[in-house]
Amino acid sequence: MDSILQVNNLTKQYDGFKLDHVSFSVPKGAIMGLIGENGAGKSTTINAILDLIHKDEGTVTFWGQELSGSKQLKEDIGVVFDGINFYETLTPAKVGKIGRTAYKQWDAHLYQEYLKRFQLPLDKEIKTLSKGMKMKLCIAFALSHKPKMLILDEATSGLDPVMRDDILEVFLDFVQDETHSILMSSHITTDLEKVADYITFIHQGKVLFCKTKDELRYNYGIIRCGAALFDQLDKDEILAYRKDDYQWNVLVADKEKAKRKYKNAVVDDATIDDILLLYVKGDQAK
Amino acid sequence: MKSLVLKDLLNIGHNAKSMLFILLVFAIALIPFSGVEGYIFVCAILCSMMIVTTFSFDDNSKWTRYAMIMPVSKKELVGGKFIVLAIFCAVGSLFGLVVGSIGGLISNKITLDLIGIGELLFLTLISWVIALIFGSMSIPLVFKFGAERGRVLLLVSFLIPAGICFGVYQLLATLGVALTDQLVFILLCCSPLLALAWCYVMYQISYRIFAKQEI
Repeated sequence: MDSILQVNNLTKQYDGFKLDHVSFSVPKGAIMGLIGENGAGKSTTINAILDLIHKDEGTVTFWGQELSGSKQLKEDIGVVFDGINFYETLTPAKVGKIGRTAYKQWDAHLYQEYLKRFQLPLDKEIKTLSKGMKMKLCIAFALSHKPKMLILDEATSGLDPVMRDDILEVFLDFVQDETHSILMSSHITTDLEKVADYITFIHQGKVLFCKTKDELRYNYGIIRCGAALFDQLDKDEILAYRKDDYQWNVLVADKEKAKRKYKNAVVDDATIDDILLLYVKGDQAK
Repeated sequence: MKSLVLKDLLNIGHNAKSMLFILLVFAIALIPFSGVEGYIFVCAILCSMMIVTTFSFDDNSKWTRYAMIMPVSKKELVGGKFIVLAIFCAVGSLFGLVVGSIGGLISNKITLDLIGIGELLFLTLISWVIALIFGSMSIPLVFKFGAERGRVLLLVSFLIPAGICFGVYQLLATLGVALTDQLVFILLCCSPLLALAWCYVMYQISYRIFAKQEI
């Protein structure tokens, strides 16, 4: 697998929280979704990847190189956080001037095109823009220095579905170039279901799994059953389970096998939301 | 680093009108009573204080975090603040010179002869130096304590250099070195170099503080 970003055993200890030996890689031409509950360690992971916090252990490499101190690598990485990082009295035109002086690879024409595409006014102060427009400005800025890797930390949270859909389209366009990749943290799992190729699930500072979205979508399933059937289930096959009022919801990694084996049980497809909920709120058998 | 300086200048541009208004009010209040010299000094000091405002803007927009993912090093980020400070001090002292001269001429406080102009230019340079020394002290404080607490500690940044100057003066007096006009003139001529050396020390302290921080 030809990776752009390789994270190995990333560890960071805080009081009451530990990012514990997180490892995953983002292949070329792919969108990697980083999911997990609030406080699971998604933002800490991204901050450590971007060298914004000191790592206790582990390595992070982009195209085989460590980020710290490399200006060229930073030219190739576009980042969007969950809010705008330019002061509210600036205008998109002024933000463009800052970009032009900051990045060697800055493409002023491309920036103008994005502003037009996103219908962003050149001379309106940021404070007058809606949250969605602010995010679009951040994305326009991040894309206008022609990065090969985009890192998005909750970039779509707080946006309405229409705005999110517009932005997701931009991300899909971006990875049409197979040398590009995106690492995208979000707790809006439906967004990731739309665009992600891989899902890395972080829970309590640890990576629970890193799998292709299709594997989750086509193989994972939820057995809905009563207590009697639950007792008969092969515990080795159970990934996580949770008891609702009258029903057990059991997450399994092979739904077809479950359907064959437990003919009386209802086996549903598992959405990423279901998987996240069962892992976070349920009990884990393995 | 150019982008960091540009960002601060664009950010502060929004406050330019209110600063202009304040400086003009001071012109009316100060020039007729305290003369042009005091006015130039006040302009330089007031403008140097705007450096703390740039930190407030940065905090407000979480800029520093974003700057670090741009092709900018921590050294450049810190260095950029000192360049911006030097620009603010220059703008303040030059504004003081121009407006002060006009006000001084109107209120008959100055005459436009060669010596008078020379004195004003020299005073402008000294105002720039003093504002730079005071302002550069505030930068490590703000890096250490943040813009809000740093603003409160701004007084410290004025007291420390003043205290050091007083200490040096006392030391010279104890050693029996009299501060003659000639010696004061030589010291003032050397002051730009002293200010740059002071700024370098403040830069190193600021960088060390910032390098240890997690953003």
